[in-house]
Amino acid sequence: MTLPGPVVLIGLPLAVSLVLQVLRRWTALMAFLATATALFGGLLVLSSPLLDWLPLSTVDVAIEQPFYILGRVLTIEPVDRLPLIFIFFTAAGLFVIAWRLLPHSNFFPTGLMMVAMLAGAMMLRQVVFTALLIEIAAVLAVFPLHEPVGGHYGGGSGKGGARYIAYITLALPGLMITQLLLELFTVFPNDTALLQSATILLGLSFAILLGAVPFQAWLSTVATDGSPPVVTFLFTVNMGAAWFMLLAYLESYAWLGRQAMFSPLFTTVGLLMMIIGGSLAAAQRRPGRLIGYATLVDNGAMFMALGTRQVAGVALTLMILMARPLALGLMTMGLDGLKRLGNSDDSTANNGASTASLEGAGWRAPWRAVAFVVGGIAMAGFPLSLNFAARWGLYRVIAETSLFQAVLALLGCAGVMMGVIGVARMLFAPRLKAATQQNDGREGNREDLVVLILIMVLIGATLALGIFPGAVGEIALQMAEGFTFF
Amino acid sequence: MNPFNAWLDQVSTAISAPAAWAIFMTGAGIYLINVWRIRFLILIAQYFFVGILFARIFETRPEMALLKILVGWLICGAFLISARVRANAIAREQARQQSEATDSGARVDSQRPFRWASNLPFRILSLIVMTIVAYLAAEKYPLPFISADLALACFILIILAVLFIGTEENDMMIVGVGVLNLLAALDIFYSAQDPGLLVTGLLVMVNLLVGLAFSYLAVVEVAE
Repeated sequence: MTLPGPVVLIGLPLAVSLVLQVLRRWTALMAFLATATALFGGLLVLSSPLLDWLPLSTVDVAIEQPFYILGRVLTIEPVDRLPLIFIFFTAAGLFVIAWRLLPHSNFFPTGLMMVAMLAGAMMLRQVVFTALLIEIAAVLAVFPLHEPVGGHYGGGSGKGGARYIAYITLALPGLMITQLLLELFTVFPNDTALLQSATILLGLSFAILLGAVPFQAWLSTVATDGSPPVVTFLFTVNMGAAWFMLLAYLESYAWLGRQAMFSPLFTTVGLLMMIIGGSLAAAQRRPGRLIGYATLVDNGAMFMALGTRQVAGVALTLMILMARPLALGLMTMGLDGLKRLGNSDDSTANNGASTASLEGAGWRAPWRAVAFVVGGIAMAGFPLSLNFAARWGLYRVIAETSLFQAVLALLGCAGVMMGVIGVARMLFAPRLKAATQQNDGREGNREDLVVLILIMVLIGATLALGIFPGAVGEIALQMAEGFTFF
Repeated sequence: MNPFNAWLDQVSTAISAPAAWAIFMTGAGIYLINVWRIRFLILIAQYFFVGILFARIFETRPEMALLKILVGWLICGAFLISARVRANAIAREQARQQSEATDSGARVDSQRPFRWASNLPFRILSLIVMTIVAYLAAEKYPLPFISADLALACFILIILAVLFIGTEENDMMIVGVGVLNLLAALDIFYSAQDPGLLVTGLLVMVNLLVGLAFSYLAVVEVAE
């Protein structure tokens, strides 16, 4: 029996997610199955003859065979492979991270459902269905985003999830109406007003989806209010899917990239995001908000890279996107520990009987604090991290046309770095060291060994890729050459 | 067209303009009244009027309009349950505070069965301004390929969505109603162009999920 690739890549995660709902009691098993499913999906796209060595002689998967449903076609084209691999592998990594952070959570089954929806979105050619599947994935994310963990931590006020759904829904009409306008344009090819309207609507929708200024408010609210591992999932997998969707549209509708205003628009929006994000991050002392602003700056850098209108720019965009899961994964692990100290509030920490600011919390949870700081440095694009290589390349490409813009972009990243330094100084404030050490002795505040190992692995990977970024750079460049719109 | 469909088509054509204004009135009721039992009844009525507009779009398939109404009412049910859970949790907290306040001799306001929303003059003014904006927008920028009544309904739903999302951030369910109104506007406009089964099915699923998500968000803050 031959199964079309889309059926396996969408059907398998959905089927496993149903099984996982029954297995919520056994977190390790849930995490293992979710990771294995996501890894399997990624490997299947990476190397389609994968099933040859599996004992499934009766089942064959034809990865490029299209699948038809109610007259619509789902197909995996060569350009879709990279987004699918990114989505599946990043999800697998985040399931491992969530293993010890989210016991009995519905993040594992819901995460797999989201992966299935996003994979479906990548395989469909019609904008309207892609937009609806991304909306469904966004709405599904809200359930684990505000799930109380262990009945004592998490949950939040729900504002982050509400704002996220509201913004993603605001992006939906633009995407759906764009489809109509493009269909009309094929009937009336001389009516260029249709193209202009489609461009404006598409631009607005992507600005909202990617948290571009002035639609950035949801980033910091979600980061502050939501469960850290799920926030990372949203900022890497969901947002990554939106970025790949943008690249796919630029590829499909080449006239978009050829418009005269494309480069100035992307560069200006990106620069604004970097400057505003950097300024807000520099003054920020709440770790959750800092993650939101760092992501804003990161997205701004990606917009600027695309605004260069070069293949190198696309490669840099992809490299920044690939570096994000590592950096945000580390920040997540750190923020999770810090939030636990503060009963899900990242501005305060329970300090024995009373509640005080997070000052000195680093002495109580040193590895979590270190993870947050190292992840923050990586997100800011400072050495030694993969993001540094990508940002350095970006400054060089921008400086070829405008040194002033390159300096402004660098200042935006420096703003994030200042925010990280500020949070680090607060976490390792010396005046509370003695008191917190006494607390540690009383409470027996010990770190989970698996979490420690994961933190060390992620720090090691960040440093290793920071020292040897060439391999990832090569992959990004090869992938960028697959996009021909520039 | 069978006789029932023809009759339904005539009825929906005749009352689609009043239905658009009825949607506005129900939206205004939700915006101005701060009692969830009443809001729930108004929301049920709003979905009925939205369903009438859908009956006009799905002229030959009235069952699709019925499906939209039923989905809306399901969401209303989920909202009502969440509102009750939330209200009970808040009432328990207030009772605890009341007993503490009574002990300390402080005076506590008793619950009234009917309450207007806070900042009532501001809300009324916003509603009037936004209604004028919606009416003028519908007159000046007619939406392509749909009738003027449906376009007016779309604009009214959009302004209600903007009001709910923009001014009621602390009330999750009102934000949810806003998001659902936005989806309803999009659904009316898009279904008129492409009444395909797959798009309709996906939009129904999105509506249901959004309803469930906001019901969940409404209770997550008060969960014990």
